[in-house]
Amino acid sequence: MEILTLQDICFSYGKVPVLKDVNYRFETGKMYCIIGRSGAGKTTLLSLLSGLAAPNSGSILYDGKDIAKQDKYAFRSKYIGVIFQNFNLITKFTALENVMLSMDIAGVKGKGKRQKAMELLSGVGLDEDEANRRVLKLSGGQQQRVAIARALSYDPQIILADEPTGNLDGETQKEIMNIFRKLTEQEKCVILVSHSPEVAAVCDEKYELQKLSGKNNSKEKAIS
Amino acid sequence: MYIIKNALKCIGRSKGRNILIGIIALVIAVSACIGLSIRQAAESAKSSTLEGMSVTASISFDRQAMMREMRQSSDSSASGGTQDGAFDREQFKDLMNGGTALTLDEYQTYAEAESVEDFYYTLTAYFDGSDNLEAVSSEADTETETESSSGTPGGGMNFGRGKGDRMGNMSTGDFTVIGYSGDNAMTAFQSGTTSISDGAVFSEGTEERLCLISEELAAYNELTVGDKITLTNPDSEAETYELTVSGIYKNNEANDLSVSMFGVGQDPANRIYLSAAALQGILDASASVSEKVTDETTGRETETAVGSSLSATYVFADADAYHRFEDEVRTLGLDDSYTVSSADLTAFENSLTPLNTLSKTAGWFLLVILLIGAVILVVLNIFNIRERKYEIGVLTAMGMKKGKVALQFLTEILVVTMAAILIGAGVGAVSAVPVTNALLANQVESQQSSLQQMENSFGRGGNFKGGMQTAAPNAPNDLPDDLPNGGGRGGVTRLGQNVSNYITEVNSAMNFTVLLQLLGIGLLLTIAAGAVSVLFVMRYDPLKILANRD
Repeated sequence: MEILTLQDICFSYGKVPVLKDVNYRFETGKMYCIIGRSGAGKTTLLSLLSGLAAPNSGSILYDGKDIAKQDKYAFRSKYIGVIFQNFNLITKFTALENVMLSMDIAGVKGKGKRQKAMELLSGVGLDEDEANRRVLKLSGGQQQRVAIARALSYDPQIILADEPTGNLDGETQKEIMNIFRKLTEQEKCVILVSHSPEVAAVCDEKYELQKLSGKNNSKEKAIS
Repeated sequence: MYIIKNALKCIGRSKGRNILIGIIALVIAVSACIGLSIRQAAESAKSSTLEGMSVTASISFDRQAMMREMRQSSDSSASGGTQDGAFDREQFKDLMNGGTALTLDEYQTYAEAESVEDFYYTLTAYFDGSDNLEAVSSEADTETETESSSGTPGGGMNFGRGKGDRMGNMSTGDFTVIGYSGDNAMTAFQSGTTSISDGAVFSEGTEERLCLISEELAAYNELTVGDKITLTNPDSEAETYELTVSGIYKNNEANDLSVSMFGVGQDPANRIYLSAAALQGILDASASVSEKVTDETTGRETETAVGSSLSATYVFADADAYHRFEDEVRTLGLDDSYTVSSADLTAFENSLTPLNTLSKTAGWFLLVILLIGAVILVVLNIFNIRERKYEIGVLTAMGMKKGKVALQFLTEILVVTMAAILIGAGVGAVSAVPVTNALLANQVESQQSSLQQMENSFGRGGNFKGGMQTAAPNAPNDLPDDLPNGGGRGGVTRLGQNVSNYITEVNSAMNFTVLLQLLGIGLLLTIAAGAVSVLFVMRYDPLKILANRD
């Protein structure tokens, strides 16, 4: 099922064009990889997909509806789970508190929040002691797992991850990619933004962004 | 709900910063609490004392107003004339003799005003003694008659002759005979400063010539209850009046003997009390046998009838009723040349001066503390919010609305400020009374030393404007010694004949009103500091914050 669609997206920083006529389609149950070299606009595209920025032209449709016409805060807090490259966790809170906070922001009700958060953290490989530790005292890999658990806490349809394996060793990379794969089995749409060919290789589909230069800007799209 | 939970968590996780904000808020709270308590103490001392105090007032002729009026009218009429606004003494004397004193009927008319709770009057006349009655005196010859042509006392004492309808010379005798309209007029007996030691007070309003004499006079003349005494008209030796002693009184307060130097009749021991009706009977009898005599030296014609002065007092339930009375008597026809004044209210207001001055100073102090405190809190909060910029970016990126983020920050400031305010209120409640009393003692001391300095400079006592406006001599006696709110009086300054009873201490300063005001201050400070948070949160863009972090 098509869940997210980019239609003729153009974006520029002042007079510097970054994206032009981008048309991508994302379906549930699949893992996508957006690849490209540094400066190709990967992070910009991630900002657009997560609703943190708005395109200069074109539309982003979530479940057929233009997100520009929806409440961006609600979109960010309920329908899309973002795992930032540097995790963006609340450092003064514990792993568990970070996960529960995102549930609160999403408006998740009920008494089982704490238990669900613990399950999510345990699902990404964190034990109870680690779950109750402040995130500043966790390693990069553990923080990455907290960020994944947080993104999953309110059960969004789309999971968006920026360089999910960038700071991790080979073994951990494998574990993280397995988690994402499991998510596609739960009919989630997983979109990974990466420059790593290894990550692109395990994805179902990949979109390649190329750096626009001068006046000969053109969209780049590659489907494997 | 999660916003509050989050706010509390954040307070707990940033103890250092919040303790710093808390300490500043605490200093503001304690200072504000003391400042507000001083203001409250001044306010409650005033209102509660006024509540429990019945106010008395009198109507008197405003001689200064009349002189001003005369000057104005002579100025306007002198536009084409030659007098050029000179003060016309003859006209002034004519006007003064032409009926400035109010008659008893007039006083009684004004007593019908709704605000008046009680009304009484006293008649005062001077008599000489006789063979069976000699005035208490240290002088060798008490028969020396003192002629006085002066005397227009203020405070409602309108001297006149006969029915008191005109001014005139009045001979002073050896005895001051005072006639009371009723028991309520006998304030000295009611307050206990004077009491009967033998016999009883004459019946209220009786026309029988029964009188009360002092213990000293009784001893001096070997008089007992039931004896008869004879008074003589100072202007006509043949005219005598017989009174029966119904009681002997004693003064429970030490007499100020210095007043007797103004004449034996001024000596408290030579006061004879009787009912106003009885005295009026004597005065009427005297008027009926009055003769005209011409003074050989001045050539002025006077009557021999015993002169009297009438002093009327209105009693009000409270100060508000007194203020209403001022308007009511005007509608009842009292001329503008008469003023309504209350000696005990003036005395009370004077007694509050140090507390009021302190209250005013406290008000300014409070304002400065609040302004400085607010500025410090705002600056601290700006640092705080800038430090937490990243957190704001993450929260908004996670989908938390900016309004909610701002609300969380506001809650944090509110909780810290309010906690500090509550602790401050506790500390303030404990320290407000001693601090207020210490400051008040300083204030009273500085006013007293200022008076003392002036007294030294002048070489005598007086009523100095630069220092303290001192109260009427008898007024402080009418004020309660213990204030209803638990305060006290003291610091009596004797300065010549003027005495001021300052309020020198308060026993309770903190109350619910002060607590509410403190909470209001806490809210104001929160709003001031919080407004900065809201502004910053609202203008932050999460993408920029996170991108800069990257």
